[in-house]
Amino acid sequence: MATPVNPADINPRQVANKSDKKALLDAIRMTLSVQSPAVRRNTQTFNRNRYAATALLPDYNELKDRARQIKEKAIANLPELLRQLEASVRANGGHFYLAKTAADADQYIRDVLLRHEVKLVVKGKSITSEETKLNHALEAAGITVAETDLAEFILQVADEQPSHIIAPALHYSRERITALFKRKFNTDLPLDTGEELTVFAREKLRQQFIAADAGISGANLIAADSGSLMLVESEGNIRMTMTLPPLHIALAGIEKVVPSRTDFGTFIELLPRSGTGQPLTSYVSILHPPLKAPSFAAPGKATKPREFHLVLIDNGRSRMREDPVLHEALYCIRCSACMNCCANFETVGGHAFGGETYSGGIGGSWEAGTGTLMNARFSDLCTGCSRCVTQCPVRIDIPWLNENLRQRMNFEQPSSAAKSAFAAMTGSAQEDRVAPLQKQFFANYHVMANEATRFSSLSNVITSLPLVRGLMENVVGLDRRRKLPPFPPKTWEQLYRGRPSGEQARAAKSGSPDVLMFADVFTNYGSPERGMAAIRVLREVGVNVELSDSLPDGRAAISQGMIATARQQANALAKVLLPYLEKGTVVCVLEPSVLAMFRSDYEHLLDPATWEKFARASFLEPLQLVLSIAKDQGLDLSQVFRASKSPHGMRIFYHSHCQQRSCDAAWQTIEILGACGFDVVTSSVECCGMAGSFGYKREYYELSMAVGEDLFGQVRAAEQDGPRTLVASGTSCHEQLWAGMGREVLHPAELLVSTLG
Amino acid sequence: MHQATAQSSRIEEFTAAAIQAVATVQVIDRSPAALCSAILQAVGDASRVLYAPPQELPAILFSQFAADPRVRANATPDEMVNSAAGVTEAFAAVASTGSVCIDTSFEGTGIVSLMAPLQVAVVAAESIVPQPRDLFRADVLDGRGLKRDFVFVTGPSATADMGPLVRGVHGPHKLHIIVLR
Repeated sequence: MATPVNPADINPRQVANKSDKKALLDAIRMTLSVQSPAVRRNTQTFNRNRYAATALLPDYNELKDRARQIKEKAIANLPELLRQLEASVRANGGHFYLAKTAADADQYIRDVLLRHEVKLVVKGKSITSEETKLNHALEAAGITVAETDLAEFILQVADEQPSHIIAPALHYSRERITALFKRKFNTDLPLDTGEELTVFAREKLRQQFIAADAGISGANLIAADSGSLMLVESEGNIRMTMTLPPLHIALAGIEKVVPSRTDFGTFIELLPRSGTGQPLTSYVSILHPPLKAPSFAAPGKATKPREFHLVLIDNGRSRMREDPVLHEALYCIRCSACMNCCANFETVGGHAFGGETYSGGIGGSWEAGTGTLMNARFSDLCTGCSRCVTQCPVRIDIPWLNENLRQRMNFEQPSSAAKSAFAAMTGSAQEDRVAPLQKQFFANYHVMANEATRFSSLSNVITSLPLVRGLMENVVGLDRRRKLPPFPPKTWEQLYRGRPSGEQARAAKSGSPDVLMFADVFTNYGSPERGMAAIRVLREVGVNVELSDSLPDGRAAISQGMIATARQQANALAKVLLPYLEKGTVVCVLEPSVLAMFRSDYEHLLDPATWEKFARASFLEPLQLVLSIAKDQGLDLSQVFRASKSPHGMRIFYHSHCQQRSCDAAWQTIEILGACGFDVVTSSVECCGMAGSFGYKREYYELSMAVGEDLFGQVRAAEQDGPRTLVASGTSCHEQLWAGMGREVLHPAELLVSTLG
Repeated sequence: MHQATAQSSRIEEFTAAAIQAVATVQVIDRSPAALCSAILQAVGDASRVLYAPPQELPAILFSQFAADPRVRANATPDEMVNSAAGVTEAFAAVASTGSVCIDTSFEGTGIVSLMAPLQVAVVAAESIVPQPRDLFRADVLDGRGLKRDFVFVTGPSATADMGPLVRGVHGPHKLHIIVLR
């Protein structure tokens, strides 16, 4: 029996490569136990600052569109741009080298340094050099490498991989840096404040800058027309690296090339704002090296002529470029917005949600693209909540990338009789029958739920038996600590069709309601009373609404990487919805994760002609429709739904769903509740942490609850002056709040109905 | 008249943004005496001041300041790394971000604006452009931003890597900007 390791004793390097699943689980335990407070504080600060800084850009959306277009074109024309860039660099008097692999790049750089008899090289921050493991290669050749970015300096001292793409050591609290420096440098100097630590590192590094024979930097962008580089930083170390030594080597991936220096104008507005959330960082350098000004000669040394080498690495990027899905990752400008707005990343950082070099939502594609597929296993921590899609300055659909990685990893699994039998029972697509049982189980929620609701009282007894929970945990990995919400005795469809109103019967007869309410499987089997409340609310404002049949929409399947199954379900569903869409019927969707499927994910699942019809149709969250009707008709909602009449009181805590916010369908609910007279406090977390099946999985239960703690804390803070009724719009959010706060959670529609008496 | 109002509102926007970025800003009349007194006041009792002569602004503007015995226009390497302040011109500035743009292709400008704890940058009011992106337009400032090697400097050097935000890392700890009306 292996003794369980204390998570605090796990070295991040040991679990950096997560192709082995145990490494991923150990890394989650380690980060939750050691790094989480620092990661949370730092990422959430970046996150708040980014929202504030991008809000100040009047043409933020246009800039994002332009950035996307520039990158799409650049990647499409990459071979030509590289030829043009090579000519520009040579015309400037620099050297150009295109390295096929990481080892190739390292060897070239080592040879240049050895040729110049370089003993000491200073480095500015370059994550690409982490990808090539450059330091290791240079040190093996007897060259001393001084990392001069303070974060990289910390990592070099600690021998750890970066945990974040722009702040590689943000998993370190000030206290842990103090302990690290005291231990490694064996010093009695006071190192108990950020200032003291900075002075200590600066003094050490200032000597290195002066003595260095060469400097190595990265590059944020490279312009093919002029060989210009753009470099973004705050400490001044990159400027020193490029300015002081006579020899400058810039290392970057080929995807950093854009056609022209004029393109920098778009990215300079977006990159710092999307990263640290500053309008500009302290220093943004624009240069086409070699610099014309003479280099710095250390006291007593002779001045040498300047020399510049641009080393671009392919290392799998050309293969990514040909990949129908992963090519989108090459548009990434490495700003870190997708990490800072990700609830899971905010809780564990890149040492769990990351690989040997790249981390976060986009990191899986990069690790798979520059390494092997299984290196992307950590991308399982992407719950598909879609918050990052709205925050990415080049609009990369990161969840879609991760769902594809998941599918490919599923395909790597061996098939088994049990999996095939299970898949046959649930109707999973043929291709998806190799997926692990756990993924198949959660992908087919509607099948289980349908069975369970047929005998709900029996199901509820059975699923609460310890023996059954133990089995469920062992077979499909459903964590036994997670309390299962009870299955209702009747589905939404049964409740609705069992008690048809005269009005509805007429609508059913005409077959042409104004609004079709889509009976999503989560509401249908999990919380039909919320669905009925939503219908009631719509009718109160005069909407002629009819409930659809309940069909799986593909959300559960796509989240498990079972894309073929999701496609099958989407196409079956499209056949049912198309007649309504073609008539211009508005479709209301109560569950936000399903609304997001119709609004965006279906672009990947339907044929272009069908998607075109979906893209033109009106899919609305029900309260979105209520607000627009109230505005169009000048309806005073406070006269329809009087908060003072609600038996739940007027004090509300409202948590909107991650995908609801990404669909821009959350503020309407807040506006309505306020208009009706409720005193509403809203959450500000990105996601509750449940995210569909994620929080139910044995391996992620603790992470899910740790993420939820931010939300629970906000509830507690809002209730300091008295209790509030909990209100949430998503099925998962209900379950998470129920688990964390131990009490009833209402849907906004239920709250509104409660005012009607 | 209209142009003068536009310029003064741009100076105001620039000043507010620069202060937000923790720089200090002083707007003065364009004369050798005023400039000399503003710089000397900013550098205080520094025993040595690095200086890179201007390429855009008339050198005569700096003549009185350059005559001060503490000023080094051609510093030795030792003086480069051991001076309290560095003074350069900025060929442009950005109103929305409070940044100054320092041309680093001329001898000394890069190092003078980088190595000393106090950085002083002198910029002409008419060189303030609205947004960072304007430096990458051929029709703004004669397209100088498309040809030069330069750095946008926004506030002093800073880091959050050691826990709390610390100002003054490898680069200057303070940035003082003098705007010439």
